[in-house]
Amino acid sequence: MKTETSSQIDINMKNKTSHSPWAIARRKFMKNKVAMISFVILMIIITLALLAPIIATSDITKINVLEASQPPSADHWLGTDKGGRDVFTLVLHGGRTSLMVGFMCTVFIMLIGTTLGLLAGFYGGWLDTFIMRIVDFVLILPFYVFVIALNGILVKNSVVGGVWLLIIVISALSWGGATRMVRSKVLAEKENEYIMAAKSIGNSSFKIMFKHLLPNVISIVIVQATLLFAGMIVAEAGLTFLGFGVPQSEPSWGNMLSSARQSDILQNKVWMWIPPAVLISVTILCINFIGEGLKDAFNPKSSK
Amino acid sequence: MLKYIIRRLLIMIPMLLLVSIVVFTLAQLMPGDPFGGEIDPTKLKPEQIEEKREQLGYNDPILVQYGRWLSNFVQGDFGKSISYKTDVSVLIKQRLDNTIFLTILALIITYAISFIMGLYSGKKPYTIGDYAINGFNYLALAIPSYVLAIAFIYIFAFNLQWFPSSGSVGMGVEEGTWEYWMSRLNHTLLPAIVLGAFSAASYTQFLRNDIIDNSRKDYVRTARAKGTSESNIYNKHILRNSLIPIVTLFGFDLAFMINGAVITETIFTYPGIGKLFLDSVGKQDYPLIMTLTMMFAVIVIIGNMLADILYSLVDPRVKVE
Repeated sequence: MKTETSSQIDINMKNKTSHSPWAIARRKFMKNKVAMISFVILMIIITLALLAPIIATSDITKINVLEASQPPSADHWLGTDKGGRDVFTLVLHGGRTSLMVGFMCTVFIMLIGTTLGLLAGFYGGWLDTFIMRIVDFVLILPFYVFVIALNGILVKNSVVGGVWLLIIVISALSWGGATRMVRSKVLAEKENEYIMAAKSIGNSSFKIMFKHLLPNVISIVIVQATLLFAGMIVAEAGLTFLGFGVPQSEPSWGNMLSSARQSDILQNKVWMWIPPAVLISVTILCINFIGEGLKDAFNPKSSK
Repeated sequence: MLKYIIRRLLIMIPMLLLVSIVVFTLAQLMPGDPFGGEIDPTKLKPEQIEEKREQLGYNDPILVQYGRWLSNFVQGDFGKSISYKTDVSVLIKQRLDNTIFLTILALIITYAISFIMGLYSGKKPYTIGDYAINGFNYLALAIPSYVLAIAFIYIFAFNLQWFPSSGSVGMGVEEGTWEYWMSRLNHTLLPAIVLGAFSAASYTQFLRNDIIDNSRKDYVRTARAKGTSESNIYNKHILRNSLIPIVTLFGFDLAFMINGAVITETIFTYPGIGKLFLDSVGKQDYPLIMTLTMMFAVIVIIGNMLADILYSLVDPRVKVE
């Protein structure tokens, strides 16, 4: 009799807890209206940017003086820029560059940050001290100042040019925060019994780190990566806007915005700078909402 | 406490040395002479240039050069600018004033806005006013400073003509007069708002959440039970506790403002050190680049230290190791 009830309870428990943490998080996220709308808008922007070569086929590699600085019309939905290039085409291709640079920086930074954070947190001791001192150092370098100085030097005498150099320089100066965050989470997580159990049955350190610790810190890594993605898009466009980022020949939101530094364009030819300005702000807004939605979804305490 | 502050100061020294090594290495990697402010290749013959190089010590071993640069730097001798042909220290002094004015104004705006909005939102959460403030915050956090700057120049400087779009002071205004200061304020207000908007939004959220958290705590219930008026509870009891985290952020603000100043000053063609830095990179003026990079790093380090010290001063619960 007693065994029966306990097995019944077991079944009940199983039914109630049959959702994996991922499924719970997904359901919470799907219920979050703001985050879902942001997600859809962001997906539309990304798809348009990715499909730019198919959708927007107007030639933006040539300068066409005859069609220079035209306001929006049926031919050119968003008008043309000073070189007669179609702004609609430019803004889609520009999105490709800006989103790509932001995404690649995020990937590099999170790879470095997660690996070093895991190592520092798991091993502790001198390795931890060593890594964290470097982190302290990287974090005190003023970001824009050093990216500009470094990019300015390397652009003159380096093998990799343009966009990839920018990605490397930005990543090299931004991994400190991610490392610090992953480490602190690992420090808290490794005190749990399951890690001790994994150790006591003789798992290798490598396996404990990547099979047991990583899945438990991955939720914060994802949230952090989302917010970082927004930050990196802002950083890229800002640097390009100042003339120290993506080379001018490449269409990007930052390059399009920088045309607004000429007061004639800023005042009288608003169609040249409003599209990238709006798109970049909407993109960041959406990513921020998604990031908050994810944070909420992964938080076991939030009840939504 | 004093011990902690001294220790914190001592930690700064190796950090500063490391930064100086990085800056010096960067300068060495740059093409041309990093200290060439005193050599004019158009006027001198090759032999004379070589002689001058020898005389200025460019042919010495790297370590000797580093030592010399560092000791000069510590003594306040930053060398001569290549493009401006004047002492770097003179150039920086001319511009520093403007940047400090801009930063102080931006900080005042940041704290004033976040204080008013945060207090309101925290007192009346989940009301229309709170939602409006929240909406404003999301926008301010999402719009990059350069987009905001462009939009502000377009709206407030070009269309409404409330503010000038560039410079730091009007032409022909006599220094020291009332008009002079008003003109400066008028020129600096727009960039200061742009510079402060992002922090203002994040502080508002911070303050709001902290006030809401605090208002559910026991000491507030005790105060209510004793019959303390609602305004006294918020303005005296809660505010004191909620201001702690904001005060400590001041140190980090310094670092944030430096990054911001580079962008904001450039867009508003505001003659401060941020714009000077960008110009120097564009002109490959190495003595100027090195000094400014070093200076910015020093300010950030001091800012971080300030944040730590303020934190332990304001909140006695923080353990001083």
